[in-house]
Order: sequence, then structure tokens, then C-alpha cells
Amino acid sequence: MSFLAIQGLHKSFGSTQIFSDINCEIAQGEFVTLLGPSGCGKSTLLRCIAGLTPVNSGQILLDGEDLVPVAPQKRGIGMVFQSYALFPNMTVQQNVAFGLRMQKVAAEESRQRVKEVLALVELNEFAERYPQQLSGGQCQRVALARSLVTRPRLLLLDEPLSALDARIRKHLREQIRQIQQELGLTTIFVTHDQEEALVLSDRIFLMNAGQIVQSGDAETLYTAPVDAFAAGFIGNYNLLDAEAASRLLGRPIGSRIAIRPEAIAFAELGGIEAHIRSHSLLGNVIRYRVEARGVELLVDVLNRSAADLHTKGQRIGLNIEANAICEVA
Amino acid sequence: MSRAELSAAGLYHRLMVYTLFFILLLPLLGTLLYSLSTDWSATILPSGMTFKWYVELWGDPRFLAAFGHSLLICVGALLLSAVLILPLLFVVHYHFPRLDGLMNILILLPFAVPPVVSSVGLLQLYSSGPLAMTGTPWILIGCYFTVALPFMYRAITNNLQAINLPDLMDAAHMLGASTWKAAFLVVLPNLRKGLMVSLFLSFSFLFGEFVFANLLVGTRYETLQVYLNNMRNSSGHFTSALVISYFLFVLILTWAANHLNKDKS
Repeated sequence: MSFLAIQGLHKSFGSTQIFSDINCEIAQGEFVTLLGPSGCGKSTLLRCIAGLTPVNSGQILLDGEDLVPVAPQKRGIGMVFQSYALFPNMTVQQNVAFGLRMQKVAAEESRQRVKEVLALVELNEFAERYPQQLSGGQCQRVALARSLVTRPRLLLLDEPLSALDARIRKHLREQIRQIQQELGLTTIFVTHDQEEALVLSDRIFLMNAGQIVQSGDAETLYTAPVDAFAAGFIGNYNLLDAEAASRLLGRPIGSRIAIRPEAIAFAELGGIEAHIRSHSLLGNVIRYRVEARGVELLVDVLNRSAADLHTKGQRIGLNIEANAICEVA
Repeated sequence: MSRAELSAAGLYHRLMVYTLFFILLLPLLGTLLYSLSTDWSATILPSGMTFKWYVELWGDPRFLAAFGHSLLICVGALLLSAVLILPLLFVVHYHFPRLDGLMNILILLPFAVPPVVSSVGLLQLYSSGPLAMTGTPWILIGCYFTVALPFMYRAITNNLQAINLPDLMDAAHMLGASTWKAAFLVVLPNLRKGLMVSLFLSFSFLFGEFVFANLLVGTRYETLQVYLNNMRNSSGHFTSALVISYFLFVLILTWAANHLNKDKS
């Protein structure tokens, strides 16, 4: 049986429908990501699970208990916010201890638990500091510690990394994943960043316009997008309509297709005739814009050496792996 | 910029600041000196120094009563505004953010009507009927509340906008705090600065208020400024001592407020 089950969840603000008939199941200890563009309803869904936003109808079953009528204080859910939401008038130690103070945990036990959880996020030496004396990454680790100290049944992370710079973001996401696995904590993570979602998650729910478009592990989502939106949102798929696809592949194709740019290889001889329009260097990958039979394609090639670089206008053959051609609705 | 130019500019800036200070302090210094002199009329310098005016002033029961009245009315009005405005601001910003625009217009009203005009209106309203309180300190407390409202509202609003109220409340709720507890433990301590600043600002302002006090209550419940006005025909040395005492009191209060309000970090 699933640990968290959402059934027929519906939410609208006035006449604006945010999402309707959301159904999903999450297993205990699973790390699930809600991925989607801004305004797709992912943050609202998270807030509904937290209880901070009331739902119109539907059920949220956590360990068999319906959470909808339960106040957010009593749900046993921890939450981390994009803005950190640390209490500026309290030290790190007091911030982290706040949840225990609300639960009236004895002082000695509280001190011990705060110490443990601060060690977990490697912030013990900052216990007496105030939030304004910490960097963004440190603040978010305090926020994480604060939500972990009450031993929640479910951890919700609302774009926790979005306000941080790239290097800290990478480091912190690894730390989050490590802690989550160490504690075996069921976690729902909201992000609009596909890379974050692919790296972190056991399972990804891809959302668009209040619907869960596709769910599955990173592998499935990346290699088998169900529709044009999924293909467009994850990776840098080449999306071709039926007519262009037939022309490119030289055989009749009945529907729209998606081809990953790294599934196309350059060949010295043979293959589909093409010429290079431009290229851009992404670091370890060179992304070429090529034209073949009147169709423009993106091709990603591993950047092995400068000598391999193809220049603008150069003629080239393309090999497309047959199993990488993915029909999308 | 070279060193010489820099010091020349520095000198100019210092000169300006000191001149300004001097101009501002001059009348106070004159008053102070006058309040400390035995007699100062036909000579360039006072003929002798004395503390007798201060002794006389602080020994006058009428002055002490007026001082106490002023304190009571100011503290009363500020307590009333703190008790009413804090929950009001919390509700406006947390539940009805759209009302902020309306509130901004409403709180400007006490400024829009000159005190002389509004006091005539207040006299008419509260001289008879069920709420006849002209001549009692109650009407002044109510009236001062409206005068303090804009200061309090603006200062605390700025403070509220500097903290991320909705997220802080959400975080506190998720950690098990009720809305009351969250407001008291998380929001209120973060408004301390704005609240203190506006309280002391309003206090110094109200403590020196004369028009409303004189017109609405007058001698029936004499406040400090009304007492000063009534004493205008007594010795100038005596009233100078009164002005200096009043000034020192506000000065010490402001200094104490600043000191208390320093950041811990």
C-alpha cells in the first residue's frame, strides 16, 4: 500500500482553476519531484498537502489517514521554503528548536536533538548566530534542520534551491539527497529545473496547466516523453511534425516525433546529407545547429578535441538511432 | 582627489555641520543661560548664576501635576494605539493585503484637517450627549490616538514589509504554532524596532502638543504645554527653566530609546 495517496484533488481560486482531479501515490521513503513550468500548479499542490492552502475537494491520505480536515500544525509534515523563512529574531539554535518548543519537548532532550540535526547539516559551530549573519546556503540548511528536528512523516521542499547560486545549489542538492536517504524520509520536492529533478528523484511527476502529464523515473521521463510538452520541457528535444519527419527520414511517418540531440551522430560517409549552420560550445558538449533536407536539427556532440570541430557550412552525414525516434502525441 | 583637496572638502563639510549645530543650539543655550541667571536685563552678561528657578519650578505642585497629566495622557494614548494598531496591521497585512491602500488614505486624514478646525468639531461632538467628555483627559487620549496613528501605522508597516510575513507565518504553522503563538513569538518580536521608534517619536510629539490640549481641555486638566502657556506672565527665568526641563526630559527619553533599540548583532 502506498504511504501517501492523493485522490481526485481539486483546487480553484474563485473562478480560476489551479488543478483538478489530481491522483498520485507515493511510497514510503520515496523522493518524488513535482516538475513543471511556473504557474503549472505544483507549488499550490505542495501547499495543499501541507495544509497551508485549503482544497475544494478530494482526499490526501497519509498512512491511511485523510489529511484534508486536519490543521497544518497537526499533520506531522515538515516544509522548507524558497525564501528560507527563518525567524530573524531567533538564533540558529532557537530557530531549529522552535518546533520542539511548540511540542513542549523537555529542554534537555530538545538541546540534544537540535545538536544532532545541526550536525547533520554541518552547522554546529553556527548555533549562536542570527540568520542575517549567514549565507543563503547556510540559511537553507538551517531551514532544513528546523523542519527535520520534529521528525516529520513527510518532508516538503518548495523550490529550496532556487534562490542560491549554481555551485552552492549543486552541493546542497547532494546534501539533501544524502540526508533524505540516510533518514529514509518520504520527500516531495518542487522545482522548475529539469536537471535538479533528474539528478535527485526516485520518481518525477511532470506537471503542466494543473495536470500531471507524465510520471516515472528520470530514465523514462528523459527517454520516453509522452507528449510534445514533456519532450519540450525535458532535455532539448528536436520536435518535428509528421510532414518534416517523413521528409527527414525518407519514409512515411504518421505522427509528431521527438529526437534527442545526442541521439544523432555525425558520419563521414553516408547517412542523411546535412550541413552545419552554427555551433555553440556548452563546455563538455558542442551543440550544432544543422540543416538536413530542409529540416533544422540540434545535434549534441561530445567535445573531444578542438580538431574535431566542424565549421559553419561544412557538409556532413547524419546517423539517427532508430530507437531514439520517439513518437509523441 | 589629492590629499589636500580631500582635507579641504572635509573641512568644508565639518564647517557646515558645526555651523548648523551652532544655529540650532543657540536658542537653547540662551534659554539655558537665562534659566540659570538671577537677573539678566540691562547687562551684557547675567548678573549672577542660580538654581533657584529650577528649585521653584520642581517645588511647584501645579507644575508636577501638569507634568503627571501630560505623562498620563501620552502614555494612555500610545498604549491605546499600540493595542489597537498592532492587531489591525497584522490583520490587514496577513489576511487583507488589499486594504493597505485604503488604510494609507485613512491614516492621512488626521493630517488633512488642521488641529484648530478638528478641535472645534470635536468640541461640538463631545460636549453633550452620551459621550460628553470635553474637559476630561479622555477626549485628549482619544484625540492623541488619531494624531499618533499615522506615525505608528507607517513605521510598523515599513517594518512589516521588511520581513516576509506570509512565509514566516507559514513556517511557524508548519512547525506546530497556532496563529496566536506565531504572531506573538515570531511576528511581534520582529516589529519591536518599528514599534519603539514610532512610540518614542509620537511621544515626543504628543508631549509638546498644545492646540488640542488647550482647546479641548484647557485648565480643567492642565497639561505641561497649557501650564507653560498659563505661566507666560510670570518670570521669564522661571519659564526658561520649564522649557529646559521639558527639553532635557525628551532628550533623555530619546537617547534611552535609541540605546534600547540597538541591534543585538
